[in-house]
Amino acid sequence: MALSRRHFVQTVGIGAGAALTSSVWGRGREHSVWSALEPELQAVERGVICIASNENPVGPGKKVLDGLRSLLEGGTKPGRYSGQMGELSEAVAAKFKVKTENVLLSEGSTEILRAATQVFTSKTKALVGTIPTYEECAGYAELIGNPVRGVKLNSEFKIDLDPMLAAAKGAGLVFYCNPNNPTATYVGAKATREFLTKLIAASPETTILVDEAYFDYVTNPDHETHAQFAVEHPQVIVARTFSKAYGMAGLRQGYAIAHPDTIRKMRPFTSASGTGSLNVFGMAAATMALQQDSDGAFSANERKRNQAVRDFSMKWFADRGMKPTDCQANFMFVNIGSPAKAFREACRAKGVMVARDFPPFEKTMARISLGTMEEMQKAVNVFGEVLGKKSTAAA
Amino acid sequence: MSVSRRGFLRGSRSGTASHAREWLAARGHEELVAELQQGRQGGRGMARPQLPPGVELIRISSNENPLGPGKAAIDAILGKFPEANRYPFNSTPLDADLEILIAKLNNAKRENVVLGVGSQELLKNTARVFMSPTKHLVQPSPTYGDPSGFAANTLKLTVKTAPVDPKTLRTDLSALLPLVKGAGLVYLCNPNNPTGTINSAQEMNDFIAEVRKTSPTTAILIDEAYSDYATDPAFHTVIPTALATPNVIVARTFSKAYGMAGVRIGYAIGDAATMRKMAAWRMPYNVNTFGVAAAVASLKDPQHIKDESARNKAVRDFTIKALADMGYMSTDSQTNFIFTEIGKTMTAAQFRDACAAKGVMVGRDFPPLEKQWARISLGTMEEMQKATEVFRSVLKPATTTTSGKGQ
Repeated sequence: MALSRRHFVQTVGIGAGAALTSSVWGRGREHSVWSALEPELQAVERGVICIASNENPVGPGKKVLDGLRSLLEGGTKPGRYSGQMGELSEAVAAKFKVKTENVLLSEGSTEILRAATQVFTSKTKALVGTIPTYEECAGYAELIGNPVRGVKLNSEFKIDLDPMLAAAKGAGLVFYCNPNNPTATYVGAKATREFLTKLIAASPETTILVDEAYFDYVTNPDHETHAQFAVEHPQVIVARTFSKAYGMAGLRQGYAIAHPDTIRKMRPFTSASGTGSLNVFGMAAATMALQQDSDGAFSANERKRNQAVRDFSMKWFADRGMKPTDCQANFMFVNIGSPAKAFREACRAKGVMVARDFPPFEKTMARISLGTMEEMQKAVNVFGEVLGKKSTAAA
Repeated sequence: MSVSRRGFLRGSRSGTASHAREWLAARGHEELVAELQQGRQGGRGMARPQLPPGVELIRISSNENPLGPGKAAIDAILGKFPEANRYPFNSTPLDADLEILIAKLNNAKRENVVLGVGSQELLKNTARVFMSPTKHLVQPSPTYGDPSGFAANTLKLTVKTAPVDPKTLRTDLSALLPLVKGAGLVYLCNPNNPTGTINSAQEMNDFIAEVRKTSPTTAILIDEAYSDYATDPAFHTVIPTALATPNVIVARTFSKAYGMAGVRIGYAIGDAATMRKMAAWRMPYNVNTFGVAAAVASLKDPQHIKDESARNKAVRDFTIKALADMGYMSTDSQTNFIFTEIGKTMTAAQFRDACAAKGVMVGRDFPPLEKQWARISLGTMEEMQKATEVFRSVLKPATTTTSGKGQ
């Protein structure tokens, strides 16, 4: 990349304002004759590096976008709209070698998280999750007035399985996010299987939601999806999303793999109930994404791309005495030794969006999503300025 | 942009582009769902006729816009491709930009608007917010069934109904009033589905004021899904009332006149305190970014909606007259479907089966009126010219007719 650090920072500064317009990007924000009605907010301004939301920076791949384009331009006749759910369910079922009755499609995996919380927690049956983890289940349990119990992570920022098992007994739902967001750590397949088996034996009324949103990024050799286990055990649900490695967070497509009885309970709380359905873009793109990845090459390439960026970024922090957790996702959780808020705001001023708060670690730890290599090479320069730490390795 | 996209914008591939628009319009979706549901319930599914190869069914069963969205919307979607990987809160335009645009068009603020995955998420969430085991739902019968279905079947809550006016099939607001005391929620679909009729803005506002008096905590949800098709000057949106009155909510959708049922975007609009309650239940990043872009582009192209309403009215007038000429009267439809009294000749099921055998799919049963009334969605003029010929052959005096046909 030819841009010097100084040049980069300047560019970012301009991007936050009025420049970097459509001439750079092929299209700008819409120029409406309805200027009075122009939307007021700025999303991510052009040139800003957005490494705040654990998105795949590369997108869903050419085949998927070409396929969508062809659908929109009439080059390909779309299947009948209502048939699309069937097609996608079949593609998902084929991926996991399960039946379509084991697949519940949803508008993002958020709906799966909400539906499971809705169905399996109650006033007397708590939600159990780690502190911290992805917040949706706990937030929704609070909304519907059901209790939440939190279990601290271990010293490696991993799910602490024994205390988790103890807390989970008698619970309504256990949210088991693996790899865990925001800590990026992964509990190996063997240990997870043991945990699930023990919990089912000790507390058969408890349901466990295994959120595998970041599964495709795991490089730990001891990894395995628990989809088949879920099919065999009505107490276990696996949640998946197309928002991460498949690169389509904007299209809102997720799903659960579970026992048919479990799915029957959850379905009324998803968009695909009643006369409802899912959006056509998500369904079509997800179906094409699974076709594109039928040999696993797409996700393997994405994992490899991410791994190189991760290794570069982790080394940068480690070289400066800031220790990241064992990252198995497309984001890192790093001990920057100062509050995430100050770091976030200073980076934002220099054109990098990063690091929302994750209590109870918001005073020292920052979550940093991994962009492209080019973006991270630029971002670490900003981090260096903001954190004022010199490399001990390079010194 | 690619050559093919320019080709599309020039309309040089309009023959196939219509497939894309049908896709976005989700044409035939409701019909299939009804079919599946009836199948699941052990009832009769919709007949699936075997037609000669190349003959396309005319799907006028589920109230979709037959033409789909305008060019502006599709162009906006194509422009979103580079950002498919971004969440709606990182994308351009933001989901919040759509809220702001909707607010501005209604002289309101962003805090007055909540987006939904279609209006369905919002209809369901009103049941979550305002109903409880002691707070029931009140609605006319028949009306759109999703809110009551969710309340009764999923949440196991009580639904109380009052029949529509037997002559006009208009929602009988005075008959609903006695049911309102202590209710959590009143659901009014205006124009109403499946009857196609409206209640005037005056009637709606009087009703809202009366409910406020007799049952001040009861929320009122007015579903204006079909409002863009209303041409009767007595119809007005009650959005201004909703903005000024706590616990009055108007739901809108991009699924009907905007032609984007497959895109799944709707919104609720009301006063800020009420919308805060709705926003608490909104699923995070619920709307897809392609849909947000298409909705923004559509709202900036109001002429397209005016044209769509005029197109629909011509088709509606033609179809209602054709059936009237055969002796079958329809309600005063203000929507993109009509509700026609065929009971002197056959039931809705018989009509549906007979039409399906000739390649025309019309609406499902709408109890308690399914013995007398059939709902027919409005396709294109060309489709309705063909369909009315089928109606003519199906509805002509037949040997099975019990009361003969009026002429």
